[in-house]
Amino acid sequence: MSDNTLRVSRKWQMTRLFHTIMRYPSGSVAFAFLLVFFAMALIGPWVAPYGPFETIYDKDEMPIRLAAPSAQHWLGTTNHGVDVFSQLLWGARIALVVGVLSALGSVLLGTLIGLLAGYFSGIVDEIIMRFTDIAYGIPFLPFALVVISIVQPSIGLIIILVIAFLWRTTARVIRSQVLTLRERPFVLAARAAGLSELAILFRHVAPNVLPLSFLYVAIGVQAGVMSEAALSFLGFGDPNVMSWGLMLNDAFRAGAMRSAWWWVLPPGICLSILVISTFMVTRAYEELVNPRLRKR
Amino acid sequence: MQGLRRYILRRLMTLVFVMWAILTLLFIVLKTLPGDPTAIFVDSNFAPEMIAAQRAAWGLDDPLLVQYGRYIWNMATFEFGQSFFQAVPVREIVFEKLLNTWAMVLPALVIAIVLGAVLGAMLGWRRGSRGEGTGVALLLALRSAPSFFVAILLLMLFAYQLRWLPSGGMVSLDNDGETFLARILTVDYLYHLILPGLVLLSREITTPALLLRSTMLEVRNSDFVDILRAKGLKERVVVTHAARNAMLPLVTDVAVSLALLFEGQVLLEIIFAWPGIGRELVTALNNLDYPIVQACFFLMALTILILNFIADLLYGLIDPRVTYT
Amino acid sequence: MAVLDIRDLTVTYRTAAGEARAVDGVSFSLEAGQYLGIVGESGCGKSTIAKAIMGILPENAHAGGAILYEDRNLLVLDREALNKVRWRHIAMVPQSAMHALDPVYRVGDQIAEAIQAHRPMDGVALRQRLDALFELVGISKARLADHPHQLSGGMRQRAMIAMALALDPDVIVADEPTTGLDVIVQDQILLRIKEIQEKLGKAMLLITHDIAVVSENCDQVVVMYAGRVMERGSHTVLENPFHPYTVGLINAFPDLDGEARELISIPGSPPSLLNPPKGCRFHARCPFALPLCTEQEPELLQVAPGHFAACHRAGDMMEIRRRGADPAAWQAKGLVA
Repeated sequence: MSDNTLRVSRKWQMTRLFHTIMRYPSGSVAFAFLLVFFAMALIGPWVAPYGPFETIYDKDEMPIRLAAPSAQHWLGTTNHGVDVFSQLLWGARIALVVGVLSALGSVLLGTLIGLLAGYFSGIVDEIIMRFTDIAYGIPFLPFALVVISIVQPSIGLIIILVIAFLWRTTARVIRSQVLTLRERPFVLAARAAGLSELAILFRHVAPNVLPLSFLYVAIGVQAGVMSEAALSFLGFGDPNVMSWGLMLNDAFRAGAMRSAWWWVLPPGICLSILVISTFMVTRAYEELVNPRLRKR
Repeated sequence: MQGLRRYILRRLMTLVFVMWAILTLLFIVLKTLPGDPTAIFVDSNFAPEMIAAQRAAWGLDDPLLVQYGRYIWNMATFEFGQSFFQAVPVREIVFEKLLNTWAMVLPALVIAIVLGAVLGAMLGWRRGSRGEGTGVALLLALRSAPSFFVAILLLMLFAYQLRWLPSGGMVSLDNDGETFLARILTVDYLYHLILPGLVLLSREITTPALLLRSTMLEVRNSDFVDILRAKGLKERVVVTHAARNAMLPLVTDVAVSLALLFEGQVLLEIIFAWPGIGRELVTALNNLDYPIVQACFFLMALTILILNFIADLLYGLIDPRVTYT
Repeated sequence: MAVLDIRDLTVTYRTAAGEARAVDGVSFSLEAGQYLGIVGESGCGKSTIAKAIMGILPENAHAGGAILYEDRNLLVLDREALNKVRWRHIAMVPQSAMHALDPVYRVGDQIAEAIQAHRPMDGVALRQRLDALFELVGISKARLADHPHQLSGGMRQRAMIAMALALDPDVIVADEPTTGLDVIVQDQILLRIKEIQEKLGKAMLLITHDIAVVSENCDQVVVMYAGRVMERGSHTVLENPFHPYTVGLINAFPDLDGEARELISIPGSPPSLLNPPKGCRFHARCPFALPLCTEQEPELLQVAPGHFAACHRAGDMMEIRRRGADPAAWQAKGLVA
């Protein structure tokens, strides 16, 4: 297969993915929402009327605390007089950065481990699989809480922790895929042609598992977003970066659930829509790479 | 039977090995990451000599290997030491918290599995109907929605706006049950259980429901279902056969989803102020009470490993084709 | 008297690619105690007939015509009425016992379930009945407590036969009952079915692609091709075929008397049922086709007493049988097609 045909087939795949997503009403709505969130993340900080931690004062130099939504503050203010709408815009960026980075990182790690375990069976596989067994036994959130409480919380640390826990699923799935690919004629032919094992692995086996890996990127985004939100909500997030989880944490601790719905609902709803949308688009993609699902 | 015994033994050994590895990892994390349990004293005005004396009393000056050995031994014998913060044995605190967690999880989980299985089987059997499409969309949304926000929404609506249900806690303050059982065998406990139970139910119901729907679709098209019909059996009997077959992967799938139990549980217990082990962990972390942290983490990991172990055994019991070698 | 009378049966599958008519105007009847074989290549609609009789056609299928059992049309009965007939009066031995038995129930329980649904009996009687059935098909009664996966392929098939006999039905439909079994076991199963058929005097409907099996066992033959009956009649159909397709089928199997003969297979494959060809459905593969055969579909006409064939050249059969014995005749057509 020449480089050119490969590119054509990729483009064709993308078109097909797009059509698969759009075939369902839920898919196209989800896709539209994702576009909105991407826009928020890209230009949010420039269009946000205020800073994410900026206290807004009235004429008498008093902070405007817990103001209900108005033309001035579309989504009202917090108990510290911070504009909720601005916080929401800033938060989109963090959600997506954590989601995308932890997803990419975990899939890269997981795919690599899965490739190695599946291709070089025997002792390598045995050791790697024991590691995944152990990884599966660790309750993620409690472990992350312990680590963060010892080390200073930061966005980087959260991403690393999410990666450290997400790789296991990708690794398992890729490994079993590689186990079947390993015995395929084209691999045997490559070996007969005298290619080195690593060359076979990365040039012939790896491209065939990539579609599956991408599926786990999509799943990983969702897990990354949720983990950051959960950790921040529990007060173990990066205190210097505004995220939806942090907003919910502040609101929860300030008792805003009783009094200031405009502070609680926006971050929660955005978070829900983001993860549900990612999930819906993921399912469409899953249907494309896993034809067995199509009939269902 | 001998095969079964050997299988259980091997499975138990794996369990012990994984538990040991997790404990070792925790030890390494606690010892090597920058941070110090005695930091608890930094804010206070203890004299340096007193801190040193306390360190010695906790064995923090012993060689690492000795500390490690003692730590593993203590965990293995469920001897978790004294709480830094509250001067009581950790064991007294954490086991009760674990029980409280189960007081929330178990009822919701049992209902979720039974209800989810029935719902999923119905959806799978009636594929293509309008109800099926809506049901599946709803389940997918529930599955992916952040359940802690669902919890917050329910709390805002039913506890703060409508004031129908309590906003948190496992029992009322005036529920003076002496023992765990005396506390939960009350209407008061059920009243407190409704909201967190609903949130848990909404999350846990999706796994069995979606799974049974898809396995039911598969089983529905198999030859033996045709033969059951050809035998002139009533549709109810045919569905029972199909459901029993479709049910097989349920145990494994529920076990896998239970591995993620504590992720959501910590959040739920915080939101609903439920005195469970997840909330205890967060409290202990905020208090830098490491003996409790260790014990909570250990019990959570152990719970998940044991649940998986039980699921493996159950699978063999319900599927006659599984043989233990 | 006919126990099962199939009249102008038509089964259509709705598929994504269009409507496929798997069975197209098939008629035949099965007399009490008769052993009738339906033979044809895979995909000719013979299994669909079995499913239609048992009322287990898939949801996307629609059946027309009539399947008469004791003057009742099974195709129009409601579920409850149909349940009173099937298995009680018409039972089935399915294609693959491996998949036809519920894997999580014990074999004995699955048979007992059929008995209890139609003719409830107490525990002792039931037990005796099960033991007798297993003895009849030649499996140790201890095996009743086994799950399907614990039995060998042949035993599973025999268990299915036991299940089919459980209610002492008038008709047994055996749909390729030996698929997936090795040759020796195949022979044992077929022999067992034949023995039981003779001993109990059942009417049997055997569906197979193997014309040798039909020849050895059956006294009535229906030859199907692409959803239609090409030829039917008594055993003489196999001795004096009146359709080139039957000639081809006979050529494609080893001689029944073990006489050495060159095997000839019919080149090509059956036409698409989505869009069946005009004229005789077999014309594209028939070396003896005339221009007429591509235009007009031949009717099923009586060629001898009780012997029907659908071929424009039925009158030239002596010559066709002679020329059909020569492999070259078939190959030439194969090359053209």
